[in-house]
Amino acid sequence: MADRTQVPTPAIRQPGILWLLLGWLRSPGVLSATPVLVFFVIGFVGPLVIVLGFSFTPPRTFDLGGTFTTENYKHIFTESYYISFIWSFALAGLTVACNLLIGYPIAYGLSKLFGRWAAPVMLVLVIPLFVSENVRLFGWYIFLIKGGGILAGGLKTAFGIDTGTLLFQPGTVLMAMIYVYLPFTLFPMVLGLSMVPRDQVEASRDLGASRFQIFREVELPIAMPGILIGALLTFVLAVGAISEAKLLGGQNTPVIALDIQHEFTFAQNWPLGSAISVLTIVVTGILVVLVMRRLDLDRLLGRR
Amino acid sequence: MNEEKLLKQMVKRNPVRGAAATRRQVLQGIGAGALALGAGGAFAGRAQAADNLAMLTWDGYVDPRVLDGFTDTHGAGVDYEIHTSDPDSVNKLRAGQTEIWDIINLNNPWAREYMWPEGLIVELDRARFEPYFDAMLPMFKPPYKWAMSLDGNHLLGVCQRVDTFDFVVNTDVISAETAKDEGWDLFNNPDMAGRYGILAYDNWNIMHFCMAAGIHPFQDKTDEQVAAFEETARRLINGAVAITGDFVPLNLAVVNGEIDGYISGGTYSISSARLEGLSNLYHVVPRSGPADGKGGINWIELSSVVNNPDLHPKAMDWMEYILQPDVSYAVATAGGILVPVGQMSQPDVMAKFSAEELDSFQWDEFDYRIEHCVEYDVVPDYNRLYDIYTTALREKA
Repeated sequence: MADRTQVPTPAIRQPGILWLLLGWLRSPGVLSATPVLVFFVIGFVGPLVIVLGFSFTPPRTFDLGGTFTTENYKHIFTESYYISFIWSFALAGLTVACNLLIGYPIAYGLSKLFGRWAAPVMLVLVIPLFVSENVRLFGWYIFLIKGGGILAGGLKTAFGIDTGTLLFQPGTVLMAMIYVYLPFTLFPMVLGLSMVPRDQVEASRDLGASRFQIFREVELPIAMPGILIGALLTFVLAVGAISEAKLLGGQNTPVIALDIQHEFTFAQNWPLGSAISVLTIVVTGILVVLVMRRLDLDRLLGRR
Repeated sequence: MNEEKLLKQMVKRNPVRGAAATRRQVLQGIGAGALALGAGGAFAGRAQAADNLAMLTWDGYVDPRVLDGFTDTHGAGVDYEIHTSDPDSVNKLRAGQTEIWDIINLNNPWAREYMWPEGLIVELDRARFEPYFDAMLPMFKPPYKWAMSLDGNHLLGVCQRVDTFDFVVNTDVISAETAKDEGWDLFNNPDMAGRYGILAYDNWNIMHFCMAAGIHPFQDKTDEQVAAFEETARRLINGAVAITGDFVPLNLAVVNGEIDGYISGGTYSISSARLEGLSNLYHVVPRSGPADGKGGINWIELSSVVNNPDLHPKAMDWMEYILQPDVSYAVATAGGILVPVGQMSQPDVMAKFSAEELDSFQWDEFDYRIEHCVEYDVVPDYNRLYDIYTTALREKA
């Protein structure tokens, strides 16, 4: 009987990292995704890298190969840009909060109650999206303007009530943002609520749960991914909002997108504009990551 | 006929008819698209300029009457981009886009003070183009300063749209004569706080705030003058009911009584409303001011030919085409914005304007306005003043 312990075990050759990488690059999935990845790098990552690069070049220069400097960031932190940041993030937060409050009952109705009327109601909500945002906001401008405006003029003619000016105030900007971004909160919320199984609601009712308990412990947790995605989408879009503040707010409400626009156009200070953009992306990114950590994408996509 | 041709082309391109493409063909197409994108803007620019003239311009030259007329007479289409500001487009050329563009149309100082010294534009044949200056309003008599190089030897462009740009009042509330007499002090008066708006054409705001602060906008400024500018800018911005980059909302605000006037406005911003009968919207040039005794500013647009190494063969033809009577009228009324053009000295151009159109840009006092204005120029210390301006906007009380 041979002593097996003396037989050396043949070494299994471990593939190197380069070999693994090559194998991965040659896999059908990566090959199929390559065209999209190329577009992604050129169209999305590339511009972001350029903006990041410009943010570290000296102010009012147009050469990416110039000297490295953090002067633009110092300028942002020593000047009053915090005002615009606060306004933009506060307005975006308020827009999300209001849209969640307004959108939840509508989403609930669309997913549970309206039945065959859900489609027409959805259509009514979608149709305004076919019209340019600027045109819709200009409609609000005409509606709200003092004197001959539709609201002010109508109230004065019919009831003799003088509304005074309704434009150029932060509240008007918030109202416009709620109006513009409601569909972006609403539709993911409809998706989330439609994932709530009727059986679970009925079971919890049979077990004696109150309506509020059903809302808090059954509907809300199951619908949460849709609600969070809607809130996230709205927040990111609203942080970059500019038209509402320019047209209806009369620039009495400073927003960060306006600062960026100033630097890229009349100031011709691309590095400073880039630095403000990068900071906005970073702050928004941090907030998004915080929310995404609470989001179970596998569950949302039905994989678990 | 053209529509029929277009329809036939669309039918030929019907994607459903070509839907039998193989997966390999689709991937080849995607790869080619990615390569084209990777080749960058210069590649796209040349491909485009091989057929069409490429133009960086203000809005006067993008009217379909102007563009289609050129295509009909010269057989070349025109691609264009409208500026956000003069320096924006000059910087595009500086960044290497001379290879893309054939024509650039800017306000008066840029050609002679920047683009020609930096080799961004080419000179025009004086024998071919100066006769057109002879036929223009007397202020353009050749050699016309803003169309010539600093040494006076090279013709750098042709002029067309010209007017003044200062402020607008509602004459139902403030009479034109009072506004002219008070000039910029009208807005310095504390009683006007909360009764006016600002048209956010930022570079013009800087010039007008200088005027309101009693400073010549086109001369170097002392620290005391910069401090005066800051005080004035903050006060005027804080006193404004609304600041917006679009003149239509401001005109509506004047008409509806939200405001009684706005800073940075002129016939350019009110002519379309005046043509609709709102003649109480009135452009005012002050009788006096701090700029050599003048309080107004007038602008002149100049079209130049870009120093493109592969210049479109019809570029010079475009320069001559836009000076023809029909085109001059189309440029003067482009997009429903009516402004005077230098060719209005010619009877056949003048005859095209109705009395209402002439009144829309207050033609009856054009000479008064030009006489009481300094010519638009580059503002020294602009960057410093602009930073003050944007800070004041951000910190608006």
